[in-house]
Amino acid sequence: MTERSVLVVEDDPDLLALLEMILQDAGHTVRTAQEGGAALARVAEEMPGVILLDMRMPGMNGWEFAREFRARYGRACPIIVVTAAENARGRAEEIGAEGWLSKPFELEEVLATVARHLSSAEAPPATH
Amino acid sequence: MPPGPIQRAGEPGWKDPEPPRASRWRGRLPWSPGRIVAMYALLAALWIELSDRAVEMLIGDHAGTTIQTVKGIGFVAVTSVMLYALIGRRERGLRSRGAEIRATIESMADAVLVVDADTRIVEANQAAAELLCVGSREALLMPLAAWGRRFQLRYLDGTPVPFERFATVRALAGARVPAYDAIIRADDGRDVFLSVTASPVLVPGGGTELAVTVLRDVSPARRLDELRDEFLSTAAHEFKTPLAVIKAYAQLLQKRDPGEAQALVVIQRQVERLNRLVQHLLDTTRLRLDAREGHLQRFDLGSLAGEVVARMRASAPAHALSVASVPAQVIADRDRLARVITSLVDNAVRFSPGGGTVSARVESRDGEAIFSVEDHGLGIPPERQARIFERYYRAHAGTPQDYGGLGLGLDMSREIVALHGGRMWFESAPGHGSTFHFSVPLAGEGSA
Repeated sequence: MTERSVLVVEDDPDLLALLEMILQDAGHTVRTAQEGGAALARVAEEMPGVILLDMRMPGMNGWEFAREFRARYGRACPIIVVTAAENARGRAEEIGAEGWLSKPFELEEVLATVARHLSSAEAPPATH
Repeated sequence: MPPGPIQRAGEPGWKDPEPPRASRWRGRLPWSPGRIVAMYALLAALWIELSDRAVEMLIGDHAGTTIQTVKGIGFVAVTSVMLYALIGRRERGLRSRGAEIRATIESMADAVLVVDADTRIVEANQAAAELLCVGSREALLMPLAAWGRRFQLRYLDGTPVPFERFATVRALAGARVPAYDAIIRADDGRDVFLSVTASPVLVPGGGTELAVTVLRDVSPARRLDELRDEFLSTAAHEFKTPLAVIKAYAQLLQKRDPGEAQALVVIQRQVERLNRLVQHLLDTTRLRLDAREGHLQRFDLGSLAGEVVARMRASAPAHALSVASVPAQVIADRDRLARVITSLVDNAVRFSPGGGTVSARVESRDGEAIFSVEDHGLGIPPERQARIFERYYRAHAGTPQDYGGLGLGLDMSREIVALHGGRMWFESAPGHGSTFHFSVPLAGEGSA
């Protein structure tokens, strides 16, 4: 069974490239988007196994993306908020995200969080 | 031409009999009742003394009953005219004084409401009408409770101010109420930030019949505060993404090339240091922006202190960090109290540059959980102790013992502790070290 992909939504190209690299090194299939609109297009192509979502982005930001995603797909895939806010959990709760990573993060933390949510999402998404 | 406010305040149709003499309060004071009576007594005494002699001189000794009667009537007539003149003068003086006091209130830039013992607004100035965007001052003369409802008097967090907490109501009970901030909805739909104060109007020998309330529009200052906090928050936020990139690449390189580990560990440590500063900025500014956005949970303050101190040992290799705790269940925002403990222990380490012991403990007494941390470092000079809780104040700034920091830790800590209904205090002796404490209420037995 092939593992579902990780969608990384982040506007900073360096951070995006880094996340892509370490996740690929860990054996994941990675797709990327630099803002919410592009991310929705990636989702429409193929439902990822987990989404890493930056909150402050030009174009469609994290809040708008999360609202749009929930409206279209419900909880088809877990969302992990990646935020610089001092209260990462608060941001995650605002959009009903499944997890959060606060910047600056530990690489191990990113890999562990992604792995945990991918495995819990391995079961085919229930239809609502 | 009289100045505008006097025209507004004066009663229609009544003209000031005397042209105002500039700044001569004493000159315009009406005669006191004592003076009037003294004048009357003097006149009566003179009459008694002189009238009989005058009659004798004019008519001779034959003054009969008729003349006595005429004399009496004359006395009454003359003194009546005099009393009328004196009382009239006093009355005009009082009215003119009242108009001046009203004009004074009217000229104030701050909104003023005068409330009587039945908590009805009996007087309001033009500034109040303008602040609340009502057509006329008379529109504000209503019961205070109705006024509070109509203009939605709220605390800054949006909860309505209960009637018994109205500054005016407390003032009517005799209290001088220190300024507090509130929000009010003006008639044009705008929210106005106010600083509210009220004082009882003390009449000599009498109880409190009136209270005067001053509403000052602090919206511009408030907006500036918010703008500054937003700016700091955004700026701090913008720092974190580059920090995340630097830290992650350093970790990546360290993994791939363990030979450079030492340099890469230093980079990571410095990133962490920068991150702590940024986090401080975020914490203090955010705390003000959303003071109520806390996540309360029940936990043991003792084990939290243990966790925090354990985490900090790595960054303080020259110090012996110890922690001794009794179980102390509290209901609080765990993350924020962790920051307070971190900040206090960090200070203890930073300001004992020679190393030594830093002892933290958690006690439980009198319904409170008390955290303390003691160091044997520099201590704080007595003349600087009063200011150490001020935001941005750094007691050691500009001294050889300036070990950095932004001057935000204690200010933030005290605000967090205060939000939990606790307090913060310290003892310090220069050259011997400091002990900082904070308390938060213990959780009740039954609460979840």
